[in-house]
Amino acid sequence: MNARESIMAAIRDAKPADVARPDVRSVVARFPQPANLKETFAGSVALAGARFIEGPRSELPRLIAAAYPDWGRRVSVMEASDAADEERSPHSFADTDVFICEATLAVAENGAVWLPLSRLRHRSAVFLATNVIIVVDRACIVADLHEGYASLDVARDGGVFVAGPSKTADIEQALVIGAHGPTSLTIVLVDGAG
Amino acid sequence: MTASRTLPVVEPTVVDHAAAAARFNANPERVTWHDEALWFVREKRDHAMTDVAEWETLRELASSIKEHTLSRLDEYLLMFESAATANGVVVHWARNAEEHNRIVHRILESHGVRKLVKSKSMLTEECGLNPFLEARGIDVVDTDLGERIVQMRREHPSHIVMPAIHLKKEEIAETFAAQLGTEPGVSDPIALVAAARGHLRERFLAAEAALTGVNFAIAETGGIVVCTNEGNADLGIALAPIHIASMGIEKVIPGTAELAVFLRLLARSGTGQRLTVYTSHIHRPREGQELHIVLVDNGRTTQLGRAGFWRSLKCIRCGACMNTCPVYRRSGGHSYGSTVPGPIGSVLTPGIDLEKYASLPFASTLCGSCSAVCPVKIDLDAQLYRWRQIVADAGHVTAKKRHTVRIGATVLAQPRVFAFLGRATRLALRMLPQSIVAAVAAPWSRDRDVPVPAPQSFRAWYKANRISRRPGGEQ
Amino acid sequence: MSTALFVPCFVDQFFPKVAIAALDVLERLGLSVDVPGGAACCGQPPANAGFERFGDAALAQFVRTYARYDTTIILSGSCATHVLSHASSFGADGARVAARAIEFCRFLHDVVGVERVAALRAECAARVAVHIGCHALRGLGLASPSETHVAPFDKVRTLLETVKGMTFAEPSRRDECCGFGGSFSVTEPEMSARMGRDRLRDYRRSGADIIVSTDASCVMHLRGLASRDGRPMPMLHVAEVLASPEAVA
Repeated sequence: MNARESIMAAIRDAKPADVARPDVRSVVARFPQPANLKETFAGSVALAGARFIEGPRSELPRLIAAAYPDWGRRVSVMEASDAADEERSPHSFADTDVFICEATLAVAENGAVWLPLSRLRHRSAVFLATNVIIVVDRACIVADLHEGYASLDVARDGGVFVAGPSKTADIEQALVIGAHGPTSLTIVLVDGAG
Repeated sequence: MTASRTLPVVEPTVVDHAAAAARFNANPERVTWHDEALWFVREKRDHAMTDVAEWETLRELASSIKEHTLSRLDEYLLMFESAATANGVVVHWARNAEEHNRIVHRILESHGVRKLVKSKSMLTEECGLNPFLEARGIDVVDTDLGERIVQMRREHPSHIVMPAIHLKKEEIAETFAAQLGTEPGVSDPIALVAAARGHLRERFLAAEAALTGVNFAIAETGGIVVCTNEGNADLGIALAPIHIASMGIEKVIPGTAELAVFLRLLARSGTGQRLTVYTSHIHRPREGQELHIVLVDNGRTTQLGRAGFWRSLKCIRCGACMNTCPVYRRSGGHSYGSTVPGPIGSVLTPGIDLEKYASLPFASTLCGSCSAVCPVKIDLDAQLYRWRQIVADAGHVTAKKRHTVRIGATVLAQPRVFAFLGRATRLALRMLPQSIVAAVAAPWSRDRDVPVPAPQSFRAWYKANRISRRPGGEQ
Repeated sequence: MSTALFVPCFVDQFFPKVAIAALDVLERLGLSVDVPGGAACCGQPPANAGFERFGDAALAQFVRTYARYDTTIILSGSCATHVLSHASSFGADGARVAARAIEFCRFLHDVVGVERVAALRAECAARVAVHIGCHALRGLGLASPSETHVAPFDKVRTLLETVKGMTFAEPSRRDECCGFGGSFSVTEPEMSARMGRDRLRDYRRSGADIIVSTDASCVMHLRGLASRDGRPMPMLHVAEVLASPEAVA
């Protein structure tokens, strides 16, 4: 008997009496919803230590430039149609100062935004860049993770929820922003077609 | 600088929690500091909880999802394996720690890997993976800041979420000065984290393989979910050509609807955050990358078969029980002598080695705070009580204690004997010199005065002052 | 409706005033209460020490003694929890006892009712720290535990709010364990003493004049520590606060 068969046999022998699968969807459908999604989202983003900016999509470059006047250095902008960076190695983002990308979902209860792999060719950029800016459309805000996962196909679009800049409190519970990942995160909430 | 020497750990044959707690308490101010640090985390958890009106419903839901999943664990693991394999993932099975370590080593060896970065995995700590790999010439760097700190100090983590909670920043500064060349005496956490960031970034970029833990494995999609605040797991996954994910078999959950429930509870319970900074979903290897998942039993199926204890497998490793436990806060994680300490550790470890961990179920007043904070409603205090019976039955309680309890119990079951001895005891307490009383009642009287004996027991008063209307005419 | 009062072993021997007070309170509330002599102990001490079987004789005796009563009032949160959890293993009588046993404060709040307790016109001009034993709190639902997200309630406090002149101190940790824990107090003496002293410090800092508890076992532990440290603090059981002054003189 190999390990797999052995473990399976042990489980069949040991498992407790059947417990029915709870109907998660009907239980969570009864949960209260926040009154104002955008305000709740903005508050959660701030709590997570990220900066929150909003404005029309058409003014995106101006919004960012106004918020970060010192950023004129190397910047990577990822668009679904941008093939220019296909040949880049994941390691090549090690010196990136600012990385901009777009999220397809925003969760009001915790300020997290969803970066699908399909829109994020190089996962490493999100974690190697010193500063990260994530653009998200206002129409993408959902109340909570229940709604979030209901509208995602994570198997097809495996990705990452990002809620704030990287941080640690491992040294005497002192919160330090900027652990191994980015030292800052900015969420830019835009409206208007993307 | 590599951590290529094996951890010089001297494993005790029997863990004596009380003795370890006494050693920890040799420095009362430090105990206060440790207690307050962890109570602070408990308070942050409470604060996060109050924002979620449906908190208790979520807990109940999480508990029943886990119980359902465990009752069909074989089906869900097969579902997971099938979906993951279809995604191009290589799935391995390990009956025990030894098999797990060999599988990981074989994967690394076959690719000539000499440098491994590892993000938090209590399972790999449980399996003793680091010393196993280091003895075979592989450099293992723990990248979770707290784990890295204890690795550099050749210590074990003292908490499953905050591994270095027992250390003061000055102690960490000393370690960094010695091993990273930082300026001695600089203990500002911002400076220390910056030093660690630079040191570990080199390791991420040079890593030949990355090993991560798994917070949740989604059966329906074959994907794994890894939660971090530092981004260290993701840096490993995004950069290294080989990703190995080690998971205990109890980590599997049915689907993403269930995932949402657990994610809403996990960070709030563990640190008071609404969500960890990064929640990564990995379904398939990157182009040109290999992804291996190792499913590990190592005693879990045995625990699954224990009627009074299988519910401990619901654990999602949040650490809330440790933060709330008044004993853990005042004795520190190391006093439990186990990978997973605190209340959950005390119901998992006796199942692994009853004799070694016999004292852990007794390192508790059964106050029930742990059960009340557990996001998946494990009946921790009830399990601690049940383990006590098993420990005593197996003879791992001193003969003296067994004898004393038996005699006491016999007396307590016989009201007349009790009344007589009670009177005699109170008389003795009144007549004997304090020093003798203190000596006889030693463990109690070391810290407390013995209660002032009442001149008359209640029963005696009742007989003297009340007309009894006891049917059947006893006594 | 026959009602009995169970006086725990250590209350009988070391805190008879608590039982005298409880009897006084119940009788003044118009209840006719029996205190049968058949059982000295509920069996919890040996059970918590890992020797359930040794405690069975005591619990069996408890069941035999109280099976005939419609209500058994238990003067201890930890004893009540033990009886409620384990008595049903002792046949039909055991099930009956478990179904009809109730802890003293819960009986006053849930069965007698706060209005009738208020009519006792208890008086105690003091700032009080209320210490609900952990079993009473989390095991018997005497108050909402700080860990859970439920509408707040505190049955003990509600009872004590009927006491004229009583004000309440708020410790920084509302319901942390005092560290007694039965045999824990002697098998983990360091932890037990440290926990108790921390609780005392919190109560002192909150400005409390006296500690009022639902459990004499907690009192035994805290009082012993306080007096050993030369900083005695008056401690009373809820029953003693509600009883007539003559009864507890």
